[in-house]
Amino acid sequence: MAELGRLAVCLALLSSVLGVAASVLGARARRADLIRTGRHAAYAVFALVALATGILLRALLSRDFSLEYVAAYASSTLPAPYAFAALWGGQKGSLLWWSFLLALFATIVELQNRDRNRALMPWVTATLLTIVAFFLGLVTFITDPFERLPTPALEGADLNPLLQNYWMLIHPPSLYLGYVSASVPFAFAMAALCTGRLGDQWIRTTRRWALFSWFFLTLGNLFGAMWAYEVLGWGGYWAWDPVENAAFMPWLVSTAYLHSVIIQEKKDMLRVWNMVLVLLTWALTIFGTFLTRSGVISSVHSFTQSGLGPYFVGFLLLAVVTAGGLVAYRLPQLRTPGTIESFLSRESAFLFNNLLLVGIAFAVFWGTVFPVISEAVRGVKITVGPPFFNRVNAPLGIALLFLMGIGPVIAWRRATARNLWLAFAAPVGVALGSAVLLLLAGMPPGLAWLTFVGGVFSLGTVVQEFWRGMRARQAMLHESAPRALARLVDKNRRRYGGYLIHLGVIAVFAGVAASSAFRVEAQQSLAEGEEMAVGRYRLRYEGIDGREDGHVSILHAVIGVSVDGRRIATMEPEKRFYKKPKQPTTEVANRSTPREDLYLVLGAYDPDSKRITLLAYVNPLVMWIWLGGLVMAVGTAVAVWPAASERTARVVLPAGVRAGAE
Amino acid sequence: MTAGSGSAGRPRRCGACAGRTTARGAPLAAALLLAVLALLAGAPALAAAVAPPSQHDVEESLTCQCGCGLTVHSCNHVNCGSAEPMKKEIAERIARGESKEQILAAFAQRYGEKVLSAPTFRGFNWLAWITPFAAVAVGGTVLAVAIRRRVRGAIPAAGAPSPAAGGDPVLRARLAHELERLDRE
Repeated sequence: MAELGRLAVCLALLSSVLGVAASVLGARARRADLIRTGRHAAYAVFALVALATGILLRALLSRDFSLEYVAAYASSTLPAPYAFAALWGGQKGSLLWWSFLLALFATIVELQNRDRNRALMPWVTATLLTIVAFFLGLVTFITDPFERLPTPALEGADLNPLLQNYWMLIHPPSLYLGYVSASVPFAFAMAALCTGRLGDQWIRTTRRWALFSWFFLTLGNLFGAMWAYEVLGWGGYWAWDPVENAAFMPWLVSTAYLHSVIIQEKKDMLRVWNMVLVLLTWALTIFGTFLTRSGVISSVHSFTQSGLGPYFVGFLLLAVVTAGGLVAYRLPQLRTPGTIESFLSRESAFLFNNLLLVGIAFAVFWGTVFPVISEAVRGVKITVGPPFFNRVNAPLGIALLFLMGIGPVIAWRRATARNLWLAFAAPVGVALGSAVLLLLAGMPPGLAWLTFVGGVFSLGTVVQEFWRGMRARQAMLHESAPRALARLVDKNRRRYGGYLIHLGVIAVFAGVAASSAFRVEAQQSLAEGEEMAVGRYRLRYEGIDGREDGHVSILHAVIGVSVDGRRIATMEPEKRFYKKPKQPTTEVANRSTPREDLYLVLGAYDPDSKRITLLAYVNPLVMWIWLGGLVMAVGTAVAVWPAASERTARVVLPAGVRAGAE
Repeated sequence: MTAGSGSAGRPRRCGACAGRTTARGAPLAAALLLAVLALLAGAPALAAAVAPPSQHDVEESLTCQCGCGLTVHSCNHVNCGSAEPMKKEIAERIARGESKEQILAAFAQRYGEKVLSAPTFRGFNWLAWITPFAAVAVGGTVLAVAIRRRVRGAIPAAGAPSPAAGGDPVLRARLAHELERLDRE
């Protein structure tokens, strides 16, 4: 079977190269048959890569230890879901998985555009298949997941215990979906550059793809944070690890793009800038993939070193030079005579929003690569850790939060004094009021305080928008309040979906600020029956218990939690000892409420005296981060859902009309 | 890779210098923005330098050497061979009345500069801190200049009768009104 898998990968590589050639030749010679061949090649690539992926999955699930990959990342006792997840748990499998997703997206794009975007499509096909070919080339020539061991192993080395967690089934796939789908807008951007069709057709076609990619990048980042929080047991959720940064950077740039593209659609400005943002987002996804695989920058996420680095660097350079060259070549056509009438306008608010988002992305990039620069220049290894990123990004992030309150409500073109008064009097008033109230409540006037004030301000403008829209409908159409609100959102899903996302972002900001600034922690060694205090909680160590199976042995302490003498919960932080790679892990016990999390970690344990070391954290408002993520997800769903007019238009217009209209 | 080179020298404070060093010669607006941002970034350190060092603060300033990649404070390994002794030593040094700078210098002497969890505020490392803010400041200046140029370009156009509306004030008002409605969509 493995040989068949290998054959499928080789054939897929061949098909993708053929597909690129056919598409490019077809586009240049205007030959429909060649273009069709290119499209069919994309389907073939998908079928072949899907076959190969299926075969590798089957080998993992049947624990075929004659394969090096299976023996390295699975074991006979590994539960089936994790054997499935081992597909992306190791270098070789993850590259195949990447190819699979990209081939899948390419196929979907081809199907969506069978009779649309005829001029662009061959170049889209060529770009997507080039990227697929790069990954398949790695899979074929360097990291063959179907490699057989000289003698089959009797037992596998197993998946890293830290990865044996249900998040392993959720977080990497989300991130991969976000990463890989960023290739679609990139491919359309390249096609626009190649054909010179630089209007907003490519942008409209890829709007949903860009949102799709952004959505899964958002989820991927948040799920990663949740995973780190629940599993790593250090009481935090974000460590500014190079690979976290690698996932965060494309998110930031993609966010910038989703905003600036609105200006292009409305004003036909910023064509160059939007092009740059799309190219940059994609380049950062490849850069991120490179970071995890090159071993250039050490990280907990790193796959074992493999010498893939130079290939990624080469590919990235080639892509950046090609794309950059095309942008330079098309520059005369890309320039638009857009005008901005005033500093006080939505246009400039959006531009400054872009500046900050890209600025933060740059700060993260700079901090991530600075150790390499330092070593090259001074010959001294240094660490650029969380204190750096927190300090540099906090002010930029807070500025962005305030801008988020301004952008959506300031008038287009030119805000008059009256516009400004109408838009900002109430939110500014509420924000000032909250600033004073928070100070009176004893919050020190620091970064967290500023974040809360900024959050209230942004919240104020968004709520005001909903309120005014709803009142207007009520007054004009005599609708009931809930109906008016629902219709308001449905009439302009993009805009109000965006506002919902902003609400989610505000909640995330609040959660991050509160949990960073006001966290309480304690660590104590306890004998059975002893108590310790953390924040308003008293924790009583009541005993320790264990259970064991062939795969893992688990030790869990029983902790009675009380507040003001009233018992509110029993919590059981665990230690686990995995048997294959003999490695202990902690399983955090977390009691999460909207107000705060009580987060317990079982530290050391002495079997003779039964003493434990208990680490306890009180992390305020962490739940807001996750709820904010949920709101962002709902907002995105609202924004991408076809508007009522689109839904009917689809039914009315037959395919031929749509094609003719192009 | 000598450990001493990075850790010797006078301890400096971060925030105010960040503003001063780069303000020279830069356009006023950008300099102001930069100074404010850098001050905000440096504020915690400025406060920390005055008070006696807190165990937590010092632990956060050092990187655990066990390979976890987290700060000494955050390392969660049970009886970590690196973090635990470091925590103990930090506590002893604080008890002896050493300043944060002295403690960090001592660790940097032993492990090399990479033990510090963030770049120092001296020499080449300044680049790490300043570049992001400088980039935003330069970007902001470029943006401001670009907007201003376009605003200037736009004003006569707006003042002159536009071809669509002609000189008719009623039509012009209607155009403005329609444009506003369009923007609302």
